[in-house]
Amino acid sequence: MQALPLPRSLRPGFSLGGLIDGRGFDTLLVLTALGYLAVFSAWPLVYNLIMSLQEVDLFSLASFDRPFVGLDNYREVISAPEMPQILGNTAVFVIASVSLQLVLGFALALFFELRFPGASFLRGLFLAGWIMPPLVVGAIWSWILAGDFGVLNYALKSLGIIDENIFWLSDPARSLWSVIIANIWLGVPFNLILLSVGLAGIPEDLYEAAEMDGATRVQRFLTITLPLMRAQLGAVISLGTIFTLQQFDLFAGLTQGGPSNSSNVMQYWSWQLSFQEYQIGLGSVISVLMIGFVIGLAAIYVRSTRHEQVY
Amino acid sequence: MGLNMTAKAALLAGAAGLLPLAASADPTVLDLWTIDDPGEYHYVLAKEFEEANPDIRINVRTVQFRDMINDLARAIAAGDAPDVTYVDNPEVALLASRGLLLDIAPRIEASEIVDKADIFPGPLSSVSWKDGIYGLPRGANTIALYYNADLFRAAGLNPDQPPQTWAELKSAAEALSDPDDNVYGLAFSAVATEEGTFQFLPWLQMAGGDYDKVDTEGGAKALGFWKSLLDEKLASPDTLIRSQWDSTATFNAGNAAMAISGPWELPRMAKDAQFEYRAALLPMPEAGGERASALGEGDNVILASTDHPDEAFRFLEFLYAQMPRVWNEFGYLPAADVTVENPQNEAIYRVFEESMKYARNRGPSPEWPQISKAIQGAMQSALTGQATPEEALATAQGKIDRVLD
Repeated sequence: MQALPLPRSLRPGFSLGGLIDGRGFDTLLVLTALGYLAVFSAWPLVYNLIMSLQEVDLFSLASFDRPFVGLDNYREVISAPEMPQILGNTAVFVIASVSLQLVLGFALALFFELRFPGASFLRGLFLAGWIMPPLVVGAIWSWILAGDFGVLNYALKSLGIIDENIFWLSDPARSLWSVIIANIWLGVPFNLILLSVGLAGIPEDLYEAAEMDGATRVQRFLTITLPLMRAQLGAVISLGTIFTLQQFDLFAGLTQGGPSNSSNVMQYWSWQLSFQEYQIGLGSVISVLMIGFVIGLAAIYVRSTRHEQVY
Repeated sequence: MGLNMTAKAALLAGAAGLLPLAASADPTVLDLWTIDDPGEYHYVLAKEFEEANPDIRINVRTVQFRDMINDLARAIAAGDAPDVTYVDNPEVALLASRGLLLDIAPRIEASEIVDKADIFPGPLSSVSWKDGIYGLPRGANTIALYYNADLFRAAGLNPDQPPQTWAELKSAAEALSDPDDNVYGLAFSAVATEEGTFQFLPWLQMAGGDYDKVDTEGGAKALGFWKSLLDEKLASPDTLIRSQWDSTATFNAGNAAMAISGPWELPRMAKDAQFEYRAALLPMPEAGGERASALGEGDNVILASTDHPDEAFRFLEFLYAQMPRVWNEFGYLPAADVTVENPQNEAIYRVFEESMKYARNRGPSPEWPQISKAIQGAMQSALTGQATPEEALATAQGKIDRVLD
């Protein structure tokens, strides 16, 4: 931010008359953008923070005249008996989703770089998951994963892999992983596209030179592709984490966080507290904690790409 | 906020200024919110009411069932709440306790159409809060045991003698269940939503307990009974995540020999079920015990902020007077003692009609969603084996006590 030159209009000597002859136009643009951010980004964050310190229900949402309870809401959320399980589920959900999305997305991106006939068409097909509304994706996966009449159980049984139906969604040991599987499917296209763009930006002659020097395929990948993809990988991992923490519809469509919280995660819990139990103060606490986490993550990402090299 | 309101007022004033003629001769307009779609209860009856009362116009708006309370809260905060709305039974106390609904007890007292004594105790309790009455039920529903008479005969059971007690229910489920043919004995719903509470509460009440007292011996027995149905594969493990509608679909498809659900299933069952289906009252813990059943559907209520309480109450009276029609035309059970002429599905109607006498309200409590959540938590942690029924209900009781005190 500090590297940006000050717009002319913000420099000393600026007068309102500048607006008329067009010199103040950039001021207007900057103020519009700042105003937008203040109203639609900063204010909701601050409002959320305030609510997390108050006792709020649906009917006091619009007024500020609400009892302040200090950190009571935080204490209540942190000491809730389901907290450790849900926090653990969230960690598993994010780490498994993001890493497997990344591995699969990267593998597919490399695969489509081979430019075989039909590659671009097939790559386009992979976008299907990205285009479909997540609620629809949830409904489709709930048919696939259903225990008694699910498509997946039918396929596994026909192939002789299993004898007994697996209850993907209602077995507490599997429910979270079922949502993860659906979420990976949903997230791979995003990884694929972003990483494909990155791969396309690596100059071909680097590979040719390395090949002439006798570098193997693996060496080329490790010494050229991976380092040059650093920025894209960073972006994909941080954005993937943020998207994964926002994932809501799949939980609503597949398990509603159950059975018995076995597939519940922070974002869904926050919604349950706010809009099913109407304890909006408690729901806000979770969003504040999650925003804090995401800001920390974003800071790490920004730092790691600050000294990025342009080739 | 203040600025917003001023701006809105200015806009409204502007709009009124543009239409001076229309404004002068207008009938009273009542805003009505409903969960119905066009062609259903509120749309049909609002139209009939307008025809009978040319001085009142009803402006109907559909709101999604799950958004109703959130949208109402926002509208109340913004000062443009409807005059009349539909509210699900357990939510009446939430709104009434905050003074957001009009107490119509004095108007009912004076009414020539509504007689409080006719309303069944469950539905009456659902519109009552403290000493007031805050709405009129539009109808009701409850749950019963549907069973596949063909499968009963095939398993050597007598379809004229459906299970009366829990023990009989279980032995029937054992006899009917046929894993090789993908048939479970029973389909019901223990999902972690309000529907799960709706299904479990009658079992708890029959065995001795209620929403405010769940850690009873009977409660543990009821939950233990549910668990044995799942553990012995007499009901699908997906019972934990399936809604009543999805569970009953397996019954209609012939993959469950019995199902616990309500009258809203009947239109689909008539289409999908290729067998003879019947209904029976929910089985009791022991023969001759106390009956209980769930109470569903909702109420027509008037918002306290309305400018037209008299017209709104006339509309409520009109809706209430249609009670004898609700079964045949809209699929609800009457919530009051009225005579239904030529009921459709008569045998099944008689079962539900009797079941209505035992239907109990959920609550009332302004914190109902938190109580319901505690009950769902107990249900699911016991059924997944994470806690014994006793432990699970004790945990829930702790939460409920904190909410209620």
